[in-house]
Amino acid sequence: MTSVLLSLYVLAVLASLVLKTPIVKGPWLFLLRAFFPNWKFFHAVGHVPHLYARAASIHTNGEWLWSDWQWIYPRRLRRWFHLFHNADVNLGLAQQNLVDHFWADLYDLPSGADAQDLVTYELVVRLVKAQLRLSHPTLCQFQFELRMELSNADGVTHTDTMMRSPELSC
Amino acid sequence: MLTPTGLLLVTRALEFLLAISLGLQTLEFLRLSEATSAHGLWAWSVQRRDIPQTWLRPCLDALMRPSTYKTLLWLRLVAALCLGLWGGSLALVLFLFAGTVLILIRWRGAFNGGSDFMTLVVLTGLLIAYVGGEFVNPALAWRAGLWYITLQAVTSYFMSGWVKMLRPEWRSGAAMTIFLNAAIYGPLSPKHWLRKPGLACFGAWSFMLWEATFPLALMHPLWALLYCSVAAVFHLLVFWFFGLNRFFWAWLATFPAIVGCSVLWI
Repeated sequence: MTSVLLSLYVLAVLASLVLKTPIVKGPWLFLLRAFFPNWKFFHAVGHVPHLYARAASIHTNGEWLWSDWQWIYPRRLRRWFHLFHNADVNLGLAQQNLVDHFWADLYDLPSGADAQDLVTYELVVRLVKAQLRLSHPTLCQFQFELRMELSNADGVTHTDTMMRSPELSC
Repeated sequence: MLTPTGLLLVTRALEFLLAISLGLQTLEFLRLSEATSAHGLWAWSVQRRDIPQTWLRPCLDALMRPSTYKTLLWLRLVAALCLGLWGGSLALVLFLFAGTVLILIRWRGAFNGGSDFMTLVVLTGLLIAYVGGEFVNPALAWRAGLWYITLQAVTSYFMSGWVKMLRPEWRSGAAMTIFLNAAIYGPLSPKHWLRKPGLACFGAWSFMLWEATFPLALMHPLWALLYCSVAAVFHLLVFWFFGLNRFFWAWLATFPAIVGCSVLWI
């Protein structure tokens, strides 16, 4: 009996790979998505959202002098003890997840709605500020953009800018 | 058929490994207190807008206050220690389950993706066992809990393997190089062996096939041990390349259930 049930279960899981079902969304479903894992890890290769930002400082003639666009992406040094304690790396991964969620929120944004009302927008602003302050301690003006990048094994092959923020003050 | 002693061994191993996983997670959360402070990136004052019911926000404000949240984390650490040393109880598991859900909400549904999901799966399995034990024969309730954990763990590998196998970029091995280049520890070195298309293809197919055939682990306890041993090595590699240490511990906690269930039905 158990083997029959187990075989049916495997068939049902296989069917779920092929059959398209409507995507159900909602704020609580998002917050409690851990109860409905889909177990699809690292499966799709395609355009991936990446965050870029630049900082401004006041030039001697009173105009803003903008830095180059800087990629906001977590990179850390590997250590064996990270297997037991890896707080900083996991925080970096959570920040990259935030960028993914920001992209998803922008994608789902109804026409006419303001991206600045999104929780993810506000969190991304905080992330950008914190990251830029590492290289620009006297940061007072900044801007960020979300780019969709397609990569192959050798590097980025295509980039589209999905959104650019207004120039923001700290 | 699993003997009472065997069942006890399986449940103790599961609780012990889960306790390690929960303990390590909690220590990391405590280390990240600055990030969840009022001035941190993950300030609750911003995130509370995620809660759609405005009447619920003040209740969660009280729970998510930095001092309360920190107290919850310390209590969770103590509870994990108790679980590891003396085993679970209904009250302990209920606390760990509810605390984990609160922590997930604090991090907008997940802090570390799949590892959070699997941690919740194992806690749900324990909850099934302890709640069920109040109403039916505890051994039967434990079997239900173990099967729940096993089915989720087996599905995680099975699903993960098949979704990759359906993608041409995974079948060619190219996807593996692309994902590894985007990893947190930096791109692969120019001469890394996984940059060679043939070897990347071999690597991709090796673990896709192992993942896709994971349900076979339930055919015999020896097979279960073999599949779980390979899984441990796989998760170590995932940690080494992607920094996902929590995945290693979260999935390790499911292995006693997988081995136990492979014995249950022979």
